[in-house]
Amino acid sequence: MKKVISLVLVLALFAMSAVAFAATPVAATDLAYKGELVLMHFSTSEESEGNGGSDGFRTTIAAWKEAHPDITLTENVLANAEYKTQVATLAAADNLPDVFLLQGMNTIAWANQNLVMDMTDIIKASPYYDAYNQAYFTPFTTPEGKIYGLPVLTGGTCTIVIYDKAMWAEKGYETFPATWAEVEEAAEKFSAEGIDTIAFGNGGQWQLNSDFVSTLGNRYTGPEWFASLIANTGAKFTDEAFVKCLTETQRLFKDTKIFNADFNAVTNEDAREYFISGDAAAFIGGNWDWSYIWQTLKDGNEEKYNNMGIAVLPQPADAELYPNSQNIGLGYAMAINPKLAEDPDKLAAAIDLCYELTGPAFSSYVAENYALGGLTSAGDVDLSAFDQQTQDFYNWSYVDTDTCEIYDSYLDSSIWSVLNTEMQEMLNGDKDPATVAADTQAAYDAVYNS
Amino acid sequence: MLDSIRPKKSTIYLYLLIPVALFIFTVFFPLVSALVYSFFEWKSGPNKIFNGIANYKQLFADQVFWASFGHNLYLVAACIIGQIGIAFILVLFANSRLAKCQTIHRTFGFFPSTISAVCIGMIWSMVYHNKYGILNWFIINVLGRPEWAKVWLNDTKNIMLYVSIPLIWQYIGYYMVIMFSAIAGIDKSIFESAEIDGATGFQTAVHITLPLIRNTLLVCLTLCIAGNMKAFDNIYTMTAGGPGYSSMVMAMYGYKVSFEQSNLGYGSTISVAIFVLSLAVIGGSQWLVKRATRRMEV
Repeated sequence: MKKVISLVLVLALFAMSAVAFAATPVAATDLAYKGELVLMHFSTSEESEGNGGSDGFRTTIAAWKEAHPDITLTENVLANAEYKTQVATLAAADNLPDVFLLQGMNTIAWANQNLVMDMTDIIKASPYYDAYNQAYFTPFTTPEGKIYGLPVLTGGTCTIVIYDKAMWAEKGYETFPATWAEVEEAAEKFSAEGIDTIAFGNGGQWQLNSDFVSTLGNRYTGPEWFASLIANTGAKFTDEAFVKCLTETQRLFKDTKIFNADFNAVTNEDAREYFISGDAAAFIGGNWDWSYIWQTLKDGNEEKYNNMGIAVLPQPADAELYPNSQNIGLGYAMAINPKLAEDPDKLAAAIDLCYELTGPAFSSYVAENYALGGLTSAGDVDLSAFDQQTQDFYNWSYVDTDTCEIYDSYLDSSIWSVLNTEMQEMLNGDKDPATVAADTQAAYDAVYNS
Repeated sequence: MLDSIRPKKSTIYLYLLIPVALFIFTVFFPLVSALVYSFFEWKSGPNKIFNGIANYKQLFADQVFWASFGHNLYLVAACIIGQIGIAFILVLFANSRLAKCQTIHRTFGFFPSTISAVCIGMIWSMVYHNKYGILNWFIINVLGRPEWAKVWLNDTKNIMLYVSIPLIWQYIGYYMVIMFSAIAGIDKSIFESAEIDGATGFQTAVHITLPLIRNTLLVCLTLCIAGNMKAFDNIYTMTAGGPGYSSMVMAMYGYKVSFEQSNLGYGSTISVAIFVLSLAVIGGSQWLVKRATRRMEV
């Protein structure tokens, strides 16, 4: 989830030409407010290079500024990692900007401390409400049903298998195996040639959670288990189904030849290079990795680019649920500082900004330029202008697969910190899955049941 | 006469005002703030709830923190031996009459300490890299022992050694420069007398050089301990404290608790603990060194 926002890079030709055409312009709402409005976000100019969500966000901001010349929109823009530290520090000091991007996992804690405005009625009053994908609101909704943000940027998967069709065909697999048992068989053949079957990087510790366990867990527990954890209605990390997921994860990494030996020491950025260079036959990562690989191969290795295939995570032998699932969502939402309630005109301006940055102007831009989707439906996307890889990725992401939640879009960050750190030890065999589950549950209890 | 050139007290205070204010603002105030916050439950927002010594109780029971403290002590020990020890030996060699191009030794020795810690971490991550690193390449292609090659930064048992090596390498030159200047201050006739009396190089080093630069060594020791008790950036770049917590150090744990787990109250407690433990280790080591050298003098 760490990078659910750093969405899909894209279409070289379209991105490079950057013919920024948005079918739907920003609504020129008549706003009474005249003055400064501060927006803090992480769509830097560097990140927007070829990144559809980020480019669409910045383009819509520019259009909104043009539509409202009397309002000075001051942008405080930081790279994502710095943004998270900075916004947490500002929250601790009760000094958040007027409008900012709220991360799903912070919703409940910040709502409890009145750091974010309850936007339930604001969202229902939105002129675009009927076109909203309601599922995207879940991470920003409290158990009482209050919604604290308008999900922003573009929805992208956090768990995708990217593989080289030619390499797998050579080993007798016309498509990527649907089960881990088959992948294990393939691993014997690949490892005999010194090739890693699947490259994975968990050096940052968050990757295993976001890009693997979040989807694999759904195969064992189903969505009800995680929904119960969110609502604190009885599910536990120590439940058998989740422990089985951890056990299988440990087995796959520790006891098989499937993954690169240095999976715990390298990041996803390193691991995807193994795939690009041909040192690995497949790679598991998120949509941001797909974008990078897509762009790199398109620019430099046409043969491998044409052989680029995508698949869902294979199914474990002892898992019985949702074999075609992948975790997808919007990790951030436009949120408003509750202090703006003291100035109704300024609040109206902030609300309008939130509507537009998540509305049809943004959605139509990213759909038409990048084949991506956001909170607001852009209607049927004409994919014919895009290359086959992008069309496949769009259909895989939004049409052909079942979806499940991204774990770390929800719950308190301290819980994921414990799970992520201890899973790294677990993969090395230094900690058993039951202990990891128990420690994670202890962190959960410390937050929600103490 | 002295009184006539001595500035007025008010002028002295005025000159002192800016540095003292800066010191209070950047060091004293944060330290006192951390101490105050350490008595509060302060998570994910501005609300703080006074919880007495609950954070300190948690700290005493926190195995990860004490393991991190142990890792800091390991770093301190490794760096005292590696940085100061090797620097002392190299300075003796470089100062000998046989050594040529002393300026070059000083410049190149000091050079790594001018590089940012993050760059050092990245360089050594590449050195240690499993597939493309020079270390495994050397072991496999030069030594011909592929069975010795491994994923260095995923070796839980020895990871502290591997993250210590870049730290040692980086700061040897730094301590060399300090010791060069200390040894340069020793009267040359003392060394000449020792040579005439037939003292070996080792005897000269132990019985003459060491006692005469004792105060400088104490400064080096203090700097080394203080630096390694707050070690963060090199290790963060190389392993982020992993695998698991196996290379976690106190400052990184404090950062992780404060910002990754959004627990600023407990993070402040860890900061206070780092300060207290660092003072204790520095004070303890100075006491030990003074006692040991006093015995030697006797």
